[in-house]
Order: sequence, then C-alpha cells, then structure tokens
Amino acid sequence: MRYLCLIYDEEKKLAALSKSESEAFMGEYFAFTEGIKKSGHHVGGEALQPVQTATTVRVRNGKLSTTDGPFAETKEQLGGFYLINARDLNDALQVASRIPSARLGSVEVRPIMEFDRP
Amino acid sequence: MKYLCLIYREEKRLDTVPQSELQAIVGEYFVLTDDLKQSGQYLAAEALQPVRAATTVRVRNGKVSTTDGPFAETREQLGGFYLINGRDLNDAIQVAAKIPGARLGSVEVRPVVDFSKPG
Repeated sequence: MRYLCLIYDEEKKLAALSKSESEAFMGEYFAFTEGIKKSGHHVGGEALQPVQTATTVRVRNGKLSTTDGPFAETKEQLGGFYLINARDLNDALQVASRIPSARLGSVEVRPIMEFDRP
Repeated sequence: MKYLCLIYREEKRLDTVPQSELQAIVGEYFVLTDDLKQSGQYLAAEALQPVRAATTVRVRNGKVSTTDGPFAETREQLGGFYLINGRDLNDAIQVAAKIPGARLGSVEVRPVVDFSKPG
C-alpha cells in the first residue's frame, strides 16, 4: 500500500538555523532518503520552495484567477513530501517518524487512492 | 523546472455530487493526465484518500506521538497532486488551470527545490 507523507515545518524556524545546523539537517534528510531506498519504502519525494513562491490558481465561470501565496496560511508550512510503499499504516507511521522534520514540525500520513480507469 | 500542483477541494461538497458527475470528473482527470503525458509535462500524480484517513506524526524528546486527522483543519482539503514540468511559472499556472480541481476548489502551484544545482 502506498502512503503520502506530507512534511510541515515552520519556515521561520528553519531559516533561524545556523549554516552548520542547516547542513546537518539536510544531511539527515539525505541519509533518511538513502535508508528508505535500501529498505524498499521509497517511491518518490520532493522538497518545495518556500510558501512565498506559491501561487494559488482558481477557475470560476471559465475565468482564471491567481493569487500570490499558499492555499492557506498555517503556523507550519508544507515543505515537501515522500511517497512511500508500506505494509500497512503502522509501517508507514514508523517511516514517517524517522523523517527529520517529525522532530521539528509535523508529518501527515495519508493513504493513496488507487482507482481503475473508467 | 519542476512544479508541484496541490489540489484542494471541499470533501463535503464532493460527497453531495451525483455518481455520474463524479465519474465525469474522474474521466476529466484521466484525459488531463494523458494530455500532460503527451506534452511531456507529466512527471507524477496521485489522488489521496479523504482526510479522515490521515494520521499526523510528531516526535518530541525522542517520543513518537500520533493524532488522527490531517495536519490542519481547512475549509478545502488536499485531495491530490500533479508533479509537472513547466517552462516557467506561467506555463505551470496554465497547466494548473486545466486541473478540474481549479474549477471545484483551489490549486496551489509551488516550485520544487532542485538539489542538483548549487545553493
């Protein structure tokens, strides 16, 4: 079963890390990614640029409107994701708890919807 | 350049949509996915199970805690994503506008970090 791990961090808190702390944190991420590649959990993953680069798009009555910024203002911001393969939810939660940001922020784990083509 | 298109829509509203309309929306998604594959803009896409299936994980002082439900309660909920290749932000916005969720809710477009480039 596949799960999406959504990583939420407080961008302000990350920006306040010293260069060496920030590099150590990145190093943890690279090690974590290697680890879940070896264990066969890894399907995909991306890191996002900060919310100040976000644009939100809506189409109403055929008209496109865009607004700068994320869909919603939250205390912690979506910073990236991992798509993983796990035996079950417990296995997925074990993986999620090892994501470095689980210590600093929050990781939301959501099962993927599988559907057949109509 | 890679962009993540995050699709937000009101789950409650989707629950009230008749089955035939829902199937039409799903059909639109399949057509869009095929189009993006043909144009070379498609990288990945997934649909998520509803937020009631979500679990949020935090680790504090070495202790794992889990709570049922999504990270944050919002009027519209994250329902899926497309990871796309866009020439630039405008190109990505054009793609995002074609996602059925842009009509039904909101699509947040966010550039992805490229670790292959220094800085």
